Amino acid sequence: MSPETVLRAEKLVKVYRSDSVETPALRGVDLEISRGEFTAVAGPSGSGKSTLLHLLGGLDRPTSGEVFLEGRALSSLSSEELARLRLERIGFVFQSYNLIPVLTVLENVAFVLELRGVPKKERERRAREILSELGIEKYADQFPHRLSGGEQQRVAVARAVVGAPAIVLADEPTANLDGENSRALIDLMRRLNDSRETTFLFATHDSRLLDRAKRLLILEDGRITADRAGEGPWDSVQVTQGA
Amino acid sequence: MRYALRSLRRARRRSLYTFLAAFYPALILVVMFGFVAGELRGMFESATKLETGHLQIRGGEELPGGALPIFSLPEGVLEELGRRGDLKLLTLRLDLPALASAGSRSLGVVVQGVEPKRVSEISPIPGLISEGRYLAGPGEAVVGEELAELLDLRVGDTLVLLSAHPEAGMGAGAVRVVGIFRAPQAEMGRTVVQVPLETARRLVRRENAITSVVAFVRGVEGPWDAWRISRTAKELKEFLPEGLAVKGFQELAPEVAVYMRIARPVLAAFSGIFFVLGGLVVLNSFYLSFLERTRELGVIRALGASRRWLMGAVMGEALFLAGSGAALGALLGAGVVALVEHLGGLRMPGAYSEFLRAFGLEPILHLRVTPWEVLGSALAMIAVAALSAWYPARRAARLDPVEAMRHVT
Repeated sequence: MSPETVLRAEKLVKVYRSDSVETPALRGVDLEISRGEFTAVAGPSGSGKSTLLHLLGGLDRPTSGEVFLEGRALSSLSSEELARLRLERIGFVFQSYNLIPVLTVLENVAFVLELRGVPKKERERRAREILSELGIEKYADQFPHRLSGGEQQRVAVARAVVGAPAIVLADEPTANLDGENSRALIDLMRRLNDSRETTFLFATHDSRLLDRAKRLLILEDGRITADRAGEGPWDSVQVTQGA
Repeated sequence: MRYALRSLRRARRRSLYTFLAAFYPALILVVMFGFVAGELRGMFESATKLETGHLQIRGGEELPGGALPIFSLPEGVLEELGRRGDLKLLTLRLDLPALASAGSRSLGVVVQGVEPKRVSEISPIPGLISEGRYLAGPGEAVVGEELAELLDLRVGDTLVLLSAHPEAGMGAGAVRVVGIFRAPQAEMGRTVVQVPLETARRLVRRENAITSVVAFVRGVEGPWDAWRISRTAKELKEFLPEGLAVKGFQELAPEVAVYMRIARPVLAAFSGIFFVLGGLVVLNSFYLSFLERTRELGVIRALGASRRWLMGAVMGEALFLAGSGAALGALLGAGVVALVEHLGGLRMPGAYSEFLRAFGLEPILHLRVTPWEVLGSALAMIAVAALSAWYPARRAARLDPVEAMRHVT
């Protein structure tokens, strides 16, 4: 593993069991993400994108295989250690924004810093800084329900990057946004990737958004069937078939 | 903590119910403490001031038939007792079983030889004289209304007393009734004839004869200070000559002592019902809150919150609501007690008034509550709320983030 490798997955298998019925979601995924990458995982619904992101983010445990974050094997960590690792090293952007409704925008962004024990002044300074960088500082004192979906998701991105994590995992971050807002959000993530060298791995099934990715992974039926690096636009036929 | 406090605002009605679930039990418990303490104090005062004192020094155990042994205090002992700082009042008494006769009627009574001046300082009887006056000199007697009616006595009539004591034998004398009192208890009104100590002594033909030294201990305001009485009784036993017995209030008025012993456990059990109900409301409230917020709590866990943080957030909400509810309830209860006392006590209705009279209490109840009872009531409710919120808090702390984020309310 190169020193630039942030995340590595080896032979990841995930099988869901329910009433003795086994449903394989991932069938042996090998993957390596380096610092500064802006990677999209594309694939149809049910291809295993969310499962892959959950395993990579330490939210779930694989049936077999291993995930290494900055060289640490996640399987060796307890659930509390995993929570600490997520807090310190991973940023998350969820499909449904998932902001905390009783906290203001500023408090939502500063929340992970609060969990880390950063003093109030310092966390508010950092939260304002990122809100300003993303052009949403004017919403700092508002509660999430007053914001549009696009604005809420930008706040969620701010929350994910405010703690300078090793990687940001975004699971279908544009699923609830219209086309214009979706493109704007991916552009914003790309801008953070360029300016802060934040590593992003995002899942999407919207092929129109893939052009902004620097690397594209196609996930089909629990396996990575294509891994293409470089700048888009990608071969739309191949992506569409894959996706 | 900010998250916990803000969360309380999202379901305000439920938060209010939770607040009230802690508020009412604490309020009720404090007020009930006030009632029970008022009752206990009334009973204690009635028993000690009318009859027993806080403790008595006697010549030994009761004789067959219930009479008390007659004895004389060795020289200097009474003076020594009077110098003790822990005793605020001492009075001598000579109780004799006797037959009281007036005209053609006779009744068995207890002649109480008392020191009228001392008795006036503590006993309510001088203040309960309904006809005539209290004792002023030898050869006088006061009787209860019931006895006066049974013997057809009026103020100024002569009453013949025929005492019969196992140790002193028979004695006889005539006294003039100078007052009739309204006894707090019917039995007392029917059986007690109070005479000056020297008049009673003439019946047994012994100078310095007494059956008890009735003592009041300094600093005792109610049954809750019984430990002071026990402490003094223990010290007196070591100090007094052998053969003398020291009886504490609990031995002298066992029926009152028993009631005092069971009153608080009964109150605690009764209050327990309110506390359990309050606890169930808290449990229900926080479990519903947990269900509604499962997804949100899952997100917080996914972001990296520890189990301790999640548990603390839910418990923080519960403790804030229950703490403020219980504290306000207990303080309001203390305020109600203080207000009632400020207004002169609570006049009790008919049946309850009779019950109080049976114990020699006036039908006005003086409530009393200690800071410890106020604090204890609030803390007990907070503890119940914490126990009730523990289960939903634990569920929140053990959420699987992926499962929780899939949760749909």
